[in-house]
Order: sequence, then structure tokens, then C-alpha cells
Amino acid sequence: MKARTLRVFAALSLSLTALGAAAQEDGVLDTAVVRNRLYKPAGHPELSLSVGLPVQTHLTAHYFFDVGLAYNLFDTFALEARAGYAASRHTGLARSISESFLDREDKRVTDELEDMWRMGLHGVVGARWAPIYGKISLVADIPVHFQTYLWAGGGLTNLKRQSVIQCTQVVDRAAGVCDNRTDVTDRGSATENYWVKESRVAPVVSAALGFRFFIKEQHGIRLELRDWIFKDSYRVNLLRDDWEAGKATGEPAGSPGLTHLVQFDLGYTFSF
Amino acid sequence: MRPFRSIALLVAAVPALAFAQGAAPAQPPAAPGPDATAPASPSPAEPPERQRTERAAPAVPQSSPEAAPARPSAPATPDEDDTGSTPSSQSTEAQAPAATAPADAPVLDSGEAPRTTDAQQQRLVNGAPLYNPNVNVHIVQKKRFADEGKHELVLYPAVVQVNGKFTNHAGTALHYVYHLQENFALQVGGQYNWYSDESDFNLELIDKVREQAQAASSLLLQWGAHAGVEVTPLYGKFAFFNNSLAQFSVVLSGGAGIGKTRHLIRPEVANEVEGQTYQVPARFGDTGNKFLGEVGGGFRVQFGESYAIRLEVRDLIYTARVDKVDGCNLADFEALEAARAANQPFDGLNLSGSCKVAKFDGVDPKTKKNYREDIILGRDLVAEPSSDVLNNVSFYAGFSVLF
Repeated sequence: MKARTLRVFAALSLSLTALGAAAQEDGVLDTAVVRNRLYKPAGHPELSLSVGLPVQTHLTAHYFFDVGLAYNLFDTFALEARAGYAASRHTGLARSISESFLDREDKRVTDELEDMWRMGLHGVVGARWAPIYGKISLVADIPVHFQTYLWAGGGLTNLKRQSVIQCTQVVDRAAGVCDNRTDVTDRGSATENYWVKESRVAPVVSAALGFRFFIKEQHGIRLELRDWIFKDSYRVNLLRDDWEAGKATGEPAGSPGLTHLVQFDLGYTFSF
Repeated sequence: MRPFRSIALLVAAVPALAFAQGAAPAQPPAAPGPDATAPASPSPAEPPERQRTERAAPAVPQSSPEAAPARPSAPATPDEDDTGSTPSSQSTEAQAPAATAPADAPVLDSGEAPRTTDAQQQRLVNGAPLYNPNVNVHIVQKKRFADEGKHELVLYPAVVQVNGKFTNHAGTALHYVYHLQENFALQVGGQYNWYSDESDFNLELIDKVREQAQAASSLLLQWGAHAGVEVTPLYGKFAFFNNSLAQFSVVLSGGAGIGKTRHLIRPEVANEVEGQTYQVPARFGDTGNKFLGEVGGGFRVQFGESYAIRLEVRDLIYTARVDKVDGCNLADFEALEAARAANQPFDGLNLSGSCKVAKFDGVDPKTKKNYREDIILGRDLVAEPSSDVLNNVSFYAGFSVLF
């Protein structure tokens, strides 16, 4: 009787063990510390829309509008392609400099200012690594699941540059006018300006640190701090007489450095 | 008779096996986190859409209660959204006998768990009897480390300005925080900027287009001290690569205080005297103490009971009006400049009482720099009194000790 009971209990124990192993193989058991991720993006493509605002402006300001398509290879790793357009402008400081420098004739030789290139159309491909998955409690009873990720990638961008120093046709030096405005006091009446302009297509690198907050099954909100980096380019040893005569002047800077455009991105993600 | 017993045992085994499947995810091996019961993962046979966000039902023991390895009074958190905690649950839980129960205690379904009528167990916490294992409305979980009544000393070795257009600052800060309540604390702190100078951008403007920021816009903060409050409205946890768990809270702070400011009078220059070149360091003028406001926010990630890392962004806001440099106003500088041009001594001049005339007189024995040459630069700063409200936004990275 005792032997029979032992055999039966042994069989039961084996059955339990076997089932446990099977469960582990099937992925039923989750060894994660934060167990049972509510959201597992692995194997799912996703579409995202984002708007980027400048964190800091010096001479230019950018506003990014991007569309992204990503595929999550794993829960923690995804590949993403992003493309979009950056609306840009000169800041008030840049305009102020351009107007006052027209009349600063004591400065006959100078260099172009750095970081004046403005992005336009752009496209990048990158990898997103999200090693951190967490939960946060909002107003006590609403848990929000999130991922923290790093993003890095590269691509191409269309760049344009308008000088605030080289005016090829000075209209009113004292008033700082270098365009065809009909009223000296009305900048908006101008249809054309005479500042030196350049454009190019250049490689761009982008890196970001972000949070992705999951909303139900397919939706998500992304907050990012994103840096767009590309090589700067400007001319030095410019001669006022030459540029005001409409001639090309100066030579390219030897080591122009890199331009960083740091943006705060707010995005929406739809996961298929 | 023997076959009958075997069949009976096999029949009895079925619910036990079912329990094994259901309860297994609730007790993963080597799970140090405070997570309580996690629901079972979806089976592979289920449709993909369901697998992605499956929130399976809590484990339901179908066999006798003794099969469940949970104590009846263990706090149950059947939902997987067991994030964070409320302070009240933390404090009251410590008094309960159930506090010693394993955090990973499985869930008991209301249909099978023992029913309690004990007053203590029916005590309401946040509107629900927390100690009743039948309750499955709690989606938050106990906070591992209580802050209430604790002191916290925070050292920020690196404080770096992140919005420097015309100025750059880098320094070190030390804060003391007393946690009056779980989510509310008082704080006092000080910060010394061991580097504060005008930015390369400002120097570029001076060099290339003969423009520079107004004096008030490029005021530098030498040090600041403030007192205020700190609140932690959000609490959560995260796993790094599913391997280690960390508790974190979002901290928001605000306060007021005082800060000492200065302004660059002259950048570093080379001074040639009698064929010898001396490097003259940059010279800064005292622009007085200013009222300081402080707002900020960030994360506090706690490691163990006594240590935490803090990553914060704080904005030091100060009003900047530059009408005196080293105590001298425009009239003082005009008088000094007139005396300098006439090569007269400054002794008999009628200057304001606050003007530190000695700073603009004499020759530096080391660099042979004549201080009188800086009078014109000081006058330029106050010639057009300027005012601004400056936002010195900095990133604070530090660690703290709680005791």
C-alpha cells in the first residue's frame, strides 16, 4: 500500500514536472523581472507621425514633420525609416544681425557665421533599441506602460543657406534693407531678397533618446529628444567690396565642424 | 479495486496539473522584483492579435486550497498592472501580518479562497479591503521603499547648462531633502558654478559681426541657494533588458532663493609689455545678488533602501538688471574715465559709496595689465541699462543617500 502510494505520488510529481517544462518551452513561463509585458511589439510593423520643435534657437529655427515606418524585430529592437520635411526660418536675432551689419562698414573683412544651414526634405534609416520596459502609475490607479529607447541612424537631407552677412545689392544701408520691398518699414512687402544663397544635399546623422507610452493595443505616444547632425560649411575671409559687387569671395573654412539641431519630438505610433 | 484507485488519483491529478500550468507564471524562478501575481501568458495556439496583449485571467486553483502556496492573508494583486503604490497602502501594510508573505503570492479566486469575516482583514484601504485575498481590485502594488520621515542628501557633481545661447555654466550642487510625507518633501540646496562664461556663440558674434548680447542677457550666475518643496506625483518601475528591476519616481520641485551674478568685462587677452607677452585672464565684474526662482522635474531611481540616482532638469530663473558693475554706476564710470584720460588719481573723485574703485586702478604685478584700461569696458556695460529675465536651464545628474 505504501509502495503503491509512493509510486502514484511519484507519477504525479513527474507529471507536474513535465508539464512545467512543457510550459516553459511554450513560453508560458516568463522569467522577466517585470513579468508579462502587457505590450509585445515584436514582429509587428508600426507607423508613426511626429512633430519636432526646437529645444533651442540661435540663428535658425526648425519645425519637423516626419512620418516613420518601423518593424519590430524583437520586443527591444526595431528598424525604422523616417522621412519628412523641416520647415525653417531665420530667428529674430539673425534678422537683427543682417540689418545692422549692412551699416557696419568698419568691418571690411569677416567670416560667415556658423550653423546657418537649414534642413528641408530629409530621410533617415535607423535602429531603435529599447532595453527599458516599465510601468508608471498615473493618478494612483491608471498604470501606463512605457519603453525607453535609444535611436540612431543616418540618411540624406536637403540643405539651404541664406547669408546674413553677404548682401549682393544693398538697397538702403542705414535701414538695413537688402530686398525689393516697396515700403522701407514693411518687410513683408518684399518679393525677393539679395542675400547670398546656397543649397546642397548632405549626409545627416540622427540620434534620439525617447519614451514610448503604450495606449491600449495598437496606439502609442512617443516623446523624444532628437539631435540632427550634419557637417557645417561656410566661407571665411570675405571681402565686403567683393560681396557687395556681387562677386564670389573668400574660401571655404578649413574645419567648419558639425551642426546640431536638437529637437523635442512629439509623436503618435500605430502598431499593426 | 487497484484500478479504481489509480483512476481516482489520475482524476485528482488533472486539477493539480491545471494549477501547475496556471500558477507557474506567478512564481518564476529568481524573480527578485516585488511584482505580485502575473497572469498566464497566452498559449501559442491563440491568434496572434490575442497573443500580443493578452491579459489572461488570474490563476484559479481548482483543487483543494492547500495546493495553493499562498497564505490566505497575503496581499493579492491579480491584475498584471500592478504598478506603483499609494503611500497609505505602504504604511498600513507594514503593520499587517501579511507583510511577511512572499510578494509573488499567487491569486486566489473568489470562488475558492477562504472567506474572512475578521474585522482587521476587512479593513478598508483606499476603499477596498486590502488584506482580503479575495479582493482583486488593487492594480497598484506596495512600494518597496518608504520615503516618509526620511532625510535625503543629494550630491549633483555635474550640473550643466543646456540652454546656453549667450552663456555657459557648469557646476556642482548639494541638496538636502526631508520627506515630510510619502509624496511631499522640503528641500534646501546650494549650487556653485565653477565654470561660468560667455558662450562661443556670443564671442563669434563679437568677432564676426561686432554684435553681442545685452549685458542683462549674458549675466552669469556664480552661485545660488534656495529652499522649496518637492513632490513625487508618479511612481513606477522598470526593467532593464528584463534582468534587473528598478523603482523610480517622478519628482517635481519648486523654490526660491538668492544667487550671486557677475558679467564678463574683458575676455582673456595677451598683454605685451617691454617685448614680453603676458596672458591676462578674463575679468569679470560683480553685478550683485539677485532673487532666484527654481522649478524642475526629473527622475529618481532608487537602488536599495538607502541609495538613489537622480536625473533632473531645473530652471533657475533670475531677474537681471545691469546698472552697476563692481558697485560702480554710469556716473562713476564717467568720472573714472575722465580722470583716466587726464591721467589723474582717483582719490578725490566724487563716487558712489558702493563703487569699488580699487578694482579699476593700478597695475597687476603678474601680468602688467593696467586695470584703468577696463574702465571703458565697464562703462559700456552700464551705458544702456538693460534688464531681462533669464532662464538658466541645467541638467542635474547626481546620487543621493537616504537615512
